[in-house]
Amino acid sequence: MASITVPMSGAQTAPRPKLSEYLRWSVDHKIIGTQYMATALFFFLIGGTLALLIRWELLTPALDFAATGSIYNSLFTMHATVMIFLWIIPFWAGIGNYIVPLQLGAKDMAFPWLNAFAFWLIIPAGILMLAGYFVGPAEAGWTSYPPLSVLFSGDGQTLWIISLHILGVSSILGAINFIVTIKNMRPESMGWFQMPLFAWAQLATSLIQILGVPFLAGGLTLLLLDRVAGTAFFDPSRGGDVLVWQNIFWFYSHPAVYVMVLPGMGVLSEVISVHSRKPIFGYKAIAFSSMGIALVGFTVWAHHMFTSLSPSLRIPFMVTSFIIAIPTGIKIFSWLATMWGGKIRFNSAMLFSVGFLSQFVIGGITGMMLGAIPLDIHMHDTYFVVSHFHFVLFGGSVFAIYSSIYHWFPKVTGRMLDERLGKIHFYVTYVSFFLTFFPQHIVGMQGMPRRVAEYAPEFQTMNIIISISAFVLGISTFIILFNMWWSMNHGKIAGPNPWRALTLEWQTSSPPPSYNFKGEVVPFEDPYGYGTEASRVYLDEMEKRLTPANLLGKTGDGGNSSEPMTGD
Amino acid sequence: MQHSRYSETFDFERQRQRQEELRLKNARTGVNLFQGSWIFTFVALIIANLQIRSSSPAWPPAGVEKLEPILPTIATIGLIVSAVFARRAFRALKRDDVRGFLVQWRVALGLGVAFVAVMAFEWLTLTPAPEARIRLANGVEMMSVLTQYNSMFRVMTAFHGLHALIIGVYMWNVYRGMAQTTLDGRKLWSVEAGAKLWYFVVIAWMLFYLVLYWL
Repeated sequence: MASITVPMSGAQTAPRPKLSEYLRWSVDHKIIGTQYMATALFFFLIGGTLALLIRWELLTPALDFAATGSIYNSLFTMHATVMIFLWIIPFWAGIGNYIVPLQLGAKDMAFPWLNAFAFWLIIPAGILMLAGYFVGPAEAGWTSYPPLSVLFSGDGQTLWIISLHILGVSSILGAINFIVTIKNMRPESMGWFQMPLFAWAQLATSLIQILGVPFLAGGLTLLLLDRVAGTAFFDPSRGGDVLVWQNIFWFYSHPAVYVMVLPGMGVLSEVISVHSRKPIFGYKAIAFSSMGIALVGFTVWAHHMFTSLSPSLRIPFMVTSFIIAIPTGIKIFSWLATMWGGKIRFNSAMLFSVGFLSQFVIGGITGMMLGAIPLDIHMHDTYFVVSHFHFVLFGGSVFAIYSSIYHWFPKVTGRMLDERLGKIHFYVTYVSFFLTFFPQHIVGMQGMPRRVAEYAPEFQTMNIIISISAFVLGISTFIILFNMWWSMNHGKIAGPNPWRALTLEWQTSSPPPSYNFKGEVVPFEDPYGYGTEASRVYLDEMEKRLTPANLLGKTGDGGNSSEPMTGD
Repeated sequence: MQHSRYSETFDFERQRQRQEELRLKNARTGVNLFQGSWIFTFVALIIANLQIRSSSPAWPPAGVEKLEPILPTIATIGLIVSAVFARRAFRALKRDDVRGFLVQWRVALGLGVAFVAVMAFEWLTLTPAPEARIRLANGVEMMSVLTQYNSMFRVMTAFHGLHALIIGVYMWNVYRGMAQTTLDGRKLWSVEAGAKLWYFVVIAWMLFYLVLYWL
């Protein structure tokens, strides 16, 4: 980039954008990313509140807090929908938006306007979703199976469908943007296999979204017509077929769980390598296993329907479900091998990543248990299932989200998060998470059904333990929120590269200027080549270039020893 | 000093050109991805159609007339020809033949409108669907099955027609823009995008046409 297009001195003080810039339309991927993340965190609190209301109800076996079963139904329906579609998925879109163009050394995403548009679809969709509470909320579960969702759910269900439709469009547009950015906007010296693994993970995620979400859109169209136009596609008494919905819905929604966890796996690949000060073990294996998960993820959907499927069809889906453990296992072992013998820094980001490893393995193994037909028939629709998917979605995705916050907060704000609070947050979250969800395996195996407000009295002790842990878990969220709020202005100044990481997002100031990089970007040959002499030289050199004195833009005039970043 | 300023200006030009190339490349990849993605909503409806028909004892159910394929087949041929004309128009424009573009693009649009009109006619004159009676009779088994065949047809053609209309309006806008102003790179791209989206409409319809009339 020629120097006349770039205000050279802008890089130095790296001022944060003003608050008002976050509140209006902006096409800067960093602003949009932050908007996504802030919106997602807001919905996380709403979803969390709903979860705690569920746990409040389950303190006693009888129906007390929720006056009717309907209220309880709407609680768990809205909890799941908000957490999946308005918290985890948008958060990953947000952090991806912020980090991926930086990691690729790009000035912005491929389609900045489309990017902003995709974000601004989230807010009306979220409002529509929550507005369901004013017209009788959806209460058919987040899976929205007919006939429940057609005949018995309130008008909020219609809003739920429209909201999901909008979110789907947003996802597709966002995913197209990611794929085009990753494919076309890498610097010339960065081949596919010099690309950071977080970008690989976002690529795999986006591929799932562009192939999967259209199915959801088709299914939702039919569901909407069944609700408002008097058609009967899902009504067997009028010649329809309820399994049509289940097939189409799970054909999207099973891959969607990988949409929620693959970016988290990308975060782990970054965090574990950086904080172990070692090259990532099996770079290509991790990159290809992301693609493998994306691919095989489309062949397993019917394991959600084992109990409604003809027996001869169950076996193939059991086999594919087991196969998907292979790429996942490749990743887990690669991360372990990366840590092995490394100079590990157990800071908050690393702790949450290691926490992810342990909890996600439990979630994965219970997943294999549920993938086995005989066990599934015994345990389906019990708390064992609830426990399983919270281990992968909270112990997996949310831990990875926390890890990404601790890792990239310095880049986004220019300040470090407080480490002591971070560690307290980790230990409280880890223990209370485990005590919330692990006992659910036990009550589930003993036969406590999910999605029912009343339960047999013998489960009460366990449920009290679970509920109290859940309240602690809920409170623990405020530790990180407080930490973020406090550190925003009082945290240690981070500098451009506090972790001495090699990927490109760290080779610019924190926060990055609106044009991201001063001059042409030169990525290091191996994004994870830690511990080598060459990487040390590269990092030292970059550090010199990014010192405040150099970033002031005085280098061209004076006798400063380090050369400017480009020849311009 | 003079020299360096000179080279910067040169750099800037080259940079601008590279940006423009990248923008075009991105737009192309983006439209291709959108087509590859959104076609699956049509596939989802086809899967729904196939699954509902497989759980029905006969298709079309006894007592329902099979859809008459003659008029839709003519319309389909017209649609394919319109895609050919859209392509020829785009190629004419690449040769800087604006006049040829305008004529052929107009033919493509005209055929598209004719197709939508025929399908709208089919949609509206479909044997009055027994839905209304169903709701009054409240679930009579024999009649209820009748709704599926017709409402499937209606959903699918309407869903496709909606896409044809939206993309057709875009093509009409492109036409107006081209008729008024001179040619530049961005205009060329908007024509290419219009043609590509029109192919999408045609391919989506080919899938639906096969499923609705011949399977």
